[in-house]
Amino acid sequence: MSLVLAGLFILFLLMGIPIAVVLGAATMGALNLSGVPLMVVPQQMFSGINSFALVAVPMFVLAGDVMAQGEISKRLVAFADSMFGFIKGGLSIVSVLAGMFFAAISGSGAATTAAVGASLVPELKRKGYDPAAAASLIAASGTIGVVIPPSVPMIIYAVIAQESVSKLFLNGFIPGVAMGVGLIIVALIQGHRRAYPRGTPFNLATIGRTLLSAMWGLMAPLIILGGIFSGIFTPSEAAVVAVNYAILVSLFIYRDLTLKQLYRIVTRAGVTTAVIMFVISASSVLSWALSSWQVPGAIAEFALALTSNLYMLLLVIMMIVLITGVFLETASALVILTPMLLPLALQLGLGTVHFGIIIVVGLAIGMVTPPVAINLFVASTTAGLPIEKITRAVLPYLGILIVVYLIIGFGPLLF
Amino acid sequence: MLAGLDRIDRLLGAILRPVVFVGMAALTAVITLQIVSRVFFTSVSWTEEVARFLLIWITFLGAALAWQQGRHLAVSLLRDSLPDGPRRIITGAAILVSLAFMVALMIIGIRYMNVQSFQKSPSLRLSMTYVYAVMPIAAALMAALSVVDLIRLIAGPPARGGASALPEIE
Repeated sequence: MSLVLAGLFILFLLMGIPIAVVLGAATMGALNLSGVPLMVVPQQMFSGINSFALVAVPMFVLAGDVMAQGEISKRLVAFADSMFGFIKGGLSIVSVLAGMFFAAISGSGAATTAAVGASLVPELKRKGYDPAAAASLIAASGTIGVVIPPSVPMIIYAVIAQESVSKLFLNGFIPGVAMGVGLIIVALIQGHRRAYPRGTPFNLATIGRTLLSAMWGLMAPLIILGGIFSGIFTPSEAAVVAVNYAILVSLFIYRDLTLKQLYRIVTRAGVTTAVIMFVISASSVLSWALSSWQVPGAIAEFALALTSNLYMLLLVIMMIVLITGVFLETASALVILTPMLLPLALQLGLGTVHFGIIIVVGLAIGMVTPPVAINLFVASTTAGLPIEKITRAVLPYLGILIVVYLIIGFGPLLF
Repeated sequence: MLAGLDRIDRLLGAILRPVVFVGMAALTAVITLQIVSRVFFTSVSWTEEVARFLLIWITFLGAALAWQQGRHLAVSLLRDSLPDGPRRIITGAAILVSLAFMVALMIIGIRYMNVQSFQKSPSLRLSMTYVYAVMPIAAALMAALSVVDLIRLIAGPPARGGASALPEIE
């Protein structure tokens, strides 16, 4: 029966049917053929999203969308520029740092790319940086958006794997910083080779001034992450605090948000949420069917029969994650891969948190690998460049991200 | 005929947009209330439950709105690379699969709602009918939009979404 399910799934997927419908329809078809009462479909579709932890998804999406437009991100970029602009090719460092910083406010890769891109692409072009390289660096930095907490994919993973959201968040810092450092190294080498100009000269007064002007943005991660890790807020509550904070700052302090815009942003965030949540809802039926046919256990057994070498199997898992991320968007890949691979990962002794980081970072890298590469699309729209050009320019960054990915995957086993 | 379909299409979008907005605003408000009441007074017991139910409503009605806007994620690469004739046939088949799924979801959703109608939510004592009703409603809306797509496909102009249906945010 699982073969019928897999066949229908692939057929429907290739027909270009929306992924949520693919998940629901293929599973419903296979369940019906095997004589399972279909009442399980609505039951699982509701129980899969009836979770307070998932409330953090719409709220972090909304907070990121509000902060991505306008002053908050612009001032953060100005602050980073005042600190590192004096280095040759320093604006590249600024792109990555701004991406890392915005990652600590936003839970999504696309919002991070959009926020940094909107403020930095014009500046990079003006200073004579290669536009394709600049846009691709911003897209690559955007992947950090889902690795440094908060992170929408980590929330989804935590709910599926029944792990604590805060624990995943806490373990996202080091991988996120490692990705940033890797990107900065490659960007600096390129900047040196292409003789990129220096930007804003180093000046303590400028740093002080831009720091002060970016204050409201800089406080956001302190409130969001500080609130979660000190235990004052649950992640879902912290997400709502972030929404209120972003709206209040944009409406009353920077005054760069009209009520009409706010209405549009909120509605759009609602639709974005629904797209993700509908996929999660439909995938709950799939996971139920898979586990009732004991597929995940069979996958683990099959893999362990081939080899019991931990390093080998981990490498295979990481490659499966990367390849899936090339063809599927993050949320869909996450809800399909997690239930199938988690039992194997646990039998290998990886631990739910480590496996979660592996799957989230791997799928984050998928955000810059076409055909399904959300960050490249956002960067190409922001920079007004064809996607092919950016794709070629992203290759060196993709390379370093994969190296960092291997370190993140294998590192914890070696120490 | 096609103009009439366009009007229905746009009308559904115009009705659903404020509904999704209100859902999101209410979700924000309810959890804000939860935080404020816990920090400054005593915690309110019903906010988590309301937040979960709001999330369910936003998910299903937002999914219908996303359908109207062609925002659902799909792997359309292979289909879009086909020549016009086969592409129209596959698109038609894809719409039929979606339509069948939505009709099935609507029917099972109504049955599920009726079976669960005696259930009351733990803290608000709200009849679960109100929560579960959203699935057949949203499925019916998406089925209707699929019919619109199908007629449009047969009558000529290309269907919504497809290659341009990119998510704004992942």
